[in-house]
Amino acid sequence: MKLFQITKESTLSLALFADVTNSRELVDSMQCGKLQPEVALLNAQLIPDVFPVLAAAHKALLSKSRESLTTRTLHSELVYNYSGSKHITESLKRCGISDETNYILAARFNASHDEMKDVEKLINGKEIDLADLEARADQPQILKHYKIPAQELAISSLSEAITCRISARDAL
Amino acid sequence: MDIDMEEHNKEFGVLLKQGAEARVFESIFVGQKCIIKERFSKKYRHPVLDSKLTTKRLNAEARCMTKARRLGVPTPVLYAVDPLLHTLTFEYVNGPSVKEILLDFGLNGLVHERLDDIATQIGNAIGKLHDGGLIHGDLTTSNMIVKSGTNQLVLIDFGLSFNSTLPEDKAVDLYVLERALLSMHSSCGNVMDKILSAYRKASMQWSSTMNKLAQVRQRGRKRTMVG
Repeated sequence: MKLFQITKESTLSLALFADVTNSRELVDSMQCGKLQPEVALLNAQLIPDVFPVLAAAHKALLSKSRESLTTRTLHSELVYNYSGSKHITESLKRCGISDETNYILAARFNASHDEMKDVEKLINGKEIDLADLEARADQPQILKHYKIPAQELAISSLSEAITCRISARDAL
Repeated sequence: MDIDMEEHNKEFGVLLKQGAEARVFESIFVGQKCIIKERFSKKYRHPVLDSKLTTKRLNAEARCMTKARRLGVPTPVLYAVDPLLHTLTFEYVNGPSVKEILLDFGLNGLVHERLDDIATQIGNAIGKLHDGGLIHGDLTTSNMIVKSGTNQLVLIDFGLSFNSTLPEDKAVDLYVLERALLSMHSSCGNVMDKILSAYRKASMQWSSTMNKLAQVRQRGRKRTMVG
């Protein structure tokens, strides 16, 4: 578990889990809105580094402060923003978790220590270090999802390419 | 005005530069050193028109910067766009501008290898932009940074950038750079020739652009409108 300061007022807590066995239940309770505490669950295969997640979180907090969220909650907005696309359903499907997902990044805004303990209990899996993100990322899938051409990869890291797509989405 | 500036400093960080269109601040974005570029409103314009123009240009700049990266031309990583405050937040690129380097060559003597490397990178970068149909619009030596450590050329300020595949627009883009080099850095010898030879290698459509450039040199940047 690690805490990041996103704005002066808000933080984002991240925890990474491998070999998760109960993603089906997580999806079910999330869709009923019963997931307690509320948490964003991201498909970690698409995440080579924490920085783009923090940029997406920053964007979500900004929308929240202006009451202009596109999705229903702050946490779903994080998943939607991370996708870098404007298609909400598709974003949640690809960057969120599905029944078969076993590698998950959990994120919660302004979480207390106890709340993050609860999140850890919620997810049946092995918590691993955030530094493992890079090695475990699925590069071909990232290149395909974010449409990153070879010439861009020559001058940019995956994390930088994703960050640009997240921040520039609404300018397109 | 003083109070106004203090407010800004608190909000965005340390003011680095102030131009006619925007203010540039240094700040921190989720733990990373960053640059914030704020396009301020022009009080002499009608408020509705002003906000429309500012938002349009803000988005255009964000689009062009990220497009350049997709074409394989290094530009600062875009971190955030704020359509309400009219700000762009991007990566802080550490290093001297090409202008500073060339002026230093004028003072302390030329380092030929370094100059050749920079000129080649400039030609390459512009060639890639132009082949991708992107015009920078403000190619001056102060809008190019040589990143410390890697010596990679990074293009900045896409505020006047636009999409075009016309040889005319590409030629004018190069012409603006040529004039800037002539007026600022004539002591460095003919840098433009080196840039253009790299451009020819990098751009597939170099010949039509070069023909047009010859015409533009005859008449200047503005096209004469007769008839």
